[in-house]
Amino acid sequence: MQEPGPNPNHGGPSAEGAPINEAEAIARLKQTDDPSAQYYAAWWLGRMRSEHPEAVPLLCEALRQRQPRQPDAGVEANAVARNAARALGLLRAKAAVADLLATLEDDDHGLRDVAARALGDIQAPEAVTALCRRLSTGLQGAGAPEAGSPRLREPCESLLEALGAIGDNTPEVLKVITPFTEHPRPLIRSAACRALLQLTGESCWATPLEELLRHPQLQVRRAALMDLGAVGWRPALPAIEATLAENSLKLIALRGLAEHPREPDASECLDRDGDPLVIVLDAMDALL
Amino acid sequence: MKTSLTVNDSPSLTLESAITQLEQASSAEDLIGATRRLAALAEPGAADSLMSVLGFNNPGAALAAVDGLIAIGPEAVPVILGNLDARNYGARAWAVRALAGLADERGLDVLVDALLHDVGPSVRRAAARGLGELVLSQQPDLAAAQLNSCVDALEMGSRDGEWVVRYAVVVGLERRMRPQVKPDLRERITKTLKLLVDPQHESVLVVRQRAELSMQRLDVVKH
Repeated sequence: MQEPGPNPNHGGPSAEGAPINEAEAIARLKQTDDPSAQYYAAWWLGRMRSEHPEAVPLLCEALRQRQPRQPDAGVEANAVARNAARALGLLRAKAAVADLLATLEDDDHGLRDVAARALGDIQAPEAVTALCRRLSTGLQGAGAPEAGSPRLREPCESLLEALGAIGDNTPEVLKVITPFTEHPRPLIRSAACRALLQLTGESCWATPLEELLRHPQLQVRRAALMDLGAVGWRPALPAIEATLAENSLKLIALRGLAEHPREPDASECLDRDGDPLVIVLDAMDALL
Repeated sequence: MKTSLTVNDSPSLTLESAITQLEQASSAEDLIGATRRLAALAEPGAADSLMSVLGFNNPGAALAAVDGLIAIGPEAVPVILGNLDARNYGARAWAVRALAGLADERGLDVLVDALLHDVGPSVRRAAARGLGELVLSQQPDLAAAQLNSCVDALEMGSRDGEWVVRYAVVVGLERRMRPQVKPDLRERITKTLKLLVDPQHESVLVVRQRAELSMQRLDVVKH
């Protein structure tokens, strides 16, 4: 799901964080004595969609600050690296693809997670091979639970979502993704179906997502909402309206249906009369 | 005769027992069920209890309570206004949503304040919608002043940092633009909508799409 693009001129009550300017953010990222100042600066540059010429090089530098994962040390630097990766994704920084691909090979699960997401945000076709390779061991490898942790061995959700966002729908890619539609965890199934729906536009991948909108766990219904929104799957409108979740999340999902619609062949379209965009907007009005 | 007595008596009995059930609810699930049953009565006598549910930090129950307060109608308004809890943010947010749904002119000041100052985007969003739907006074002078306050607040809300609030502002402005609206206000509303369709000014596509739809609809009213 694309993040709402805030306009720095919109100083509404929700403006987050201390009001610093771009020069200050660049300066804070450049120094290395205070990782928490770098952490905030990296977030700020992404959030504000900075176009400063030094932003991307400095964020890449921050990404290279990452350290081998140790229980007691190196956490700060990796926190900066995580925010830097997120910011590079938000900035759609093609120049950062090589650094992000290197980060995708890091031992730190959290860093691989944000690197995969950023590569998806950038829609980097160069990343497809590496993303597929990390997933290619399937449910018994990448998708197996990591010992002593609630996580899976690979950040499967982010890897799958990135493949969906990049848009390479060659059979090899589809073959890597498809097993994950049978994963025991519903959030992984949701991410896999989302990617396949984006890549193929075939309704058969929308059906499991609509079923997840009726899952007993709210967290799962929320994920399915975000995934259908990310695809922009307009035939899911009635299922989105009917799911039990916060209106705020339904509105975010419907924004996707309005802004970047996808639908199957005309015969399967919404059976309501009228302009399909207006139907989506009317549904949003009813949720305000 | 006997039947009609039963029918007349049963609501108050039910109200009492529904309130008792609510007070005795011992789990989050119980509370949601009890609130739904009380809300379904749409009885003014339930308003105080429904208001108290808003402060329990149980979203399912609060949602049911908001629906119940709206179903009660105008008689719920003084109860809500008299029990606004400035210190309990969550409760206040739900109360604003109830006031937005009730569309009663007595809620105007609270809705304006919420749109301009509330920290929660969902509350500002509901307030913007409420300002669009508010039923104005029967007295023409008062109604004109109220309409002005609504449009003032919506204009300011059009600069909100959250897209969903700006989206709700568009909807609010569209609903304020009735055929009888005076030319100066009409011009102000149009001016704000024009900013919200302009990609130079508004970065979020769905807000522009909605503003565009409003402009189309309002042109139909104009000609």
